[in-house]
Amino acid sequence: MSFLQRQLEDPVRLKRIKRLSIAVLVLVVVFELVVLFATDAHHHFAVEALPAFGSLYGLLSCVVIIVVSKLIGKLFLMKREDHYDD
Amino acid sequence: MTIEWLHPGLLLIAGAWLLPVLRGRLKQAAMLALPAAAMVLCFLSEPGEYGKVSFLGQELTFGRVDKLSLVFSYVFSLMAFLGMVFALHVKDDFQHVSALTYAGGALGVTFAGDLLSLYVFWELMAISSALLVWLGRQEGSVAAGFRYLLVHVFGGLLLLAGILLYWLETDGSLAFGDMRDVAFSASWWLILAAFLVNAAVPPLGAWLPDAYPQASVTGGVFMTAFTTKSAVYVLIRGFPETELLIWLGAVMAIYGVVYAVLENDGRRLLAYHIISQVGYMVCAVGIGTQLALNGATAHAFAHILYKALLFMGAAAVVHTTGKRKLTEMGGLYKTMPITLGLYMIGAFAISAVPLFSGFVSKSMIVSAAGEEHMLSIFLMLTLASAGTFLHTGLKLPYYMFFGKDSGVRGSEPPKNMLAAMGLAAIACTVIGIFPGLLYRHLPFAADYAPYTLLHVSATLGMLAFTGLGFFLLLKHLDPTPTISVDTDWFYRKSAPAFAKLMRGPVSRLEYGIVGQIYEVVIRAPVLGAARIFRLIDSGLVDFVLVGLGRLTQLLSRGLRLLVSGHAQHYALVMGLGLLLLVILALLVP
Repeated sequence: MSFLQRQLEDPVRLKRIKRLSIAVLVLVVVFELVVLFATDAHHHFAVEALPAFGSLYGLLSCVVIIVVSKLIGKLFLMKREDHYDD
Repeated sequence: MTIEWLHPGLLLIAGAWLLPVLRGRLKQAAMLALPAAAMVLCFLSEPGEYGKVSFLGQELTFGRVDKLSLVFSYVFSLMAFLGMVFALHVKDDFQHVSALTYAGGALGVTFAGDLLSLYVFWELMAISSALLVWLGRQEGSVAAGFRYLLVHVFGGLLLLAGILLYWLETDGSLAFGDMRDVAFSASWWLILAAFLVNAAVPPLGAWLPDAYPQASVTGGVFMTAFTTKSAVYVLIRGFPETELLIWLGAVMAIYGVVYAVLENDGRRLLAYHIISQVGYMVCAVGIGTQLALNGATAHAFAHILYKALLFMGAAAVVHTTGKRKLTEMGGLYKTMPITLGLYMIGAFAISAVPLFSGFVSKSMIVSAAGEEHMLSIFLMLTLASAGTFLHTGLKLPYYMFFGKDSGVRGSEPPKNMLAAMGLAAIACTVIGIFPGLLYRHLPFAADYAPYTLLHVSATLGMLAFTGLGFFLLLKHLDPTPTISVDTDWFYRKSAPAFAKLMRGPVSRLEYGIVGQIYEVVIRAPVLGAARIFRLIDSGLVDFVLVGLGRLTQLLSRGLRLLVSGHAQHYALVMGLGLLLLVILALLVP
């Protein structure tokens, strides 16, 4: 059993990984807030001064990309695999 | 060629023909030595102009060596080396010759100082890379290779037409440099369009995801590097600050991401991310500031290495499992952990995770957009960044290596494949940790600092929450056994439809109208004329000939009376003749 397998196939450890991931998310947001409020970092745009802009925009981008792409795909682009076989 | 500078591209193109005559270890040694030698030649090159040749009254420059061409030549020759390491186990000389010729062509384009030699190497790349598609020898490779070649022949013709018009517009100059002097003229548009075809800018870019997954497992790795990035190079050289490119590039960055959501073929997904990443570079060329052009160059450099690594990872999976589709994979982390680990380094690099190469190159482009206060471009590029991590860093590895166990086992690929991936992974990491190593080779002096607190924190936030979004929406991302139509739909669907139209309505129309006109205009007069000739023939010519025949017959009948065949008749005639002569002799005084 490899290291990865042990981590992923043991429900206790998998749970630990999930908790760890949530902790990372929180830490990242805190880091962003600290940089925003505690340093005089130089912004190019006003939107970047929103609290935790990177995190917000990342989540938004991810959701928009998935939803919009799937929509376009289902409506127009996705075809059966034999689409080009005549 | 002058002695003081040997063209690294020509070395590869000519040296490639050594491989078919060598055997065993010696062949493998040559496969590595050739690109290694080319790399050394590139690193030893000093700026200057070499290899000036006069041809048909034109001055051709095969060796324009400056900071811009040098940095591209470094990464092209390095990539040729990595690609040959990856292909070391392949027993197919054709592939190796094609691959080295292809890499040599890219170096030729890089060092070309005039449009004519550029064109020659441009076409050489098109042909040698089409061979790599054909040598994929899979179902569909032949057709995909032809489509690929046709698109590039079309692009090549645009380039040639552009060059000819440029030559006319500039009164006989073929020098290749900033095209601003002929901006918006016909030649400018044609040459730009030819470059955009090779840079795979939509709607001209569907050839890329169409062809790359069909190429041979190792050939595909070469293809990811040269065609699009040499196009980026010529765009930097010829079309900086072309505003159109800002928007084309930004749209392109998102275009690739959208298709990547829908894609089921692993290598096709990565191919769409080439389009997305080249979009950043095209956009940077359009912005055109020193920081932006440095960014385009740095990103091309970093991109070649991490994309090769990613493609190698996907190719290794194809090589050992024979599967290409994500719907048929899953659970491979158990048997291919090293491949997974190396792939993830490439994935972190392309996703611009801090400490990996993409972070230090992509951020230059995004910062350049920031410095020019282009908010929408900044937002589009950042959105595409999230998409890149979503697919290359999360979706592809999740469904390929983790996800539902498909029962497909596979194993680690041959050692040389792992070695090539390892080297590429080292390069991605070293550039990420020591960006100065790359920055000092960039065309413009720039003191750019990628590791600012703001930038690192925003990037980490963006990546982490893209990851969150991925796991929240995971069930919507399951790949489906479908294909997605791209702009190649127009020529792939329209060609059969065109043939049908031709065979059906058009051929009937042709018979009804053109056939009838033919009947009246051509057939009737021709038949009439023929009848007249026949009359002349039978009346006059025959009469004369028959008359001659009859006359001859008559004469010969008369003669026959004389020629009886009896000796006594002949003697009688002779006697009569003698008698006549005697009488004449007596009578005539």
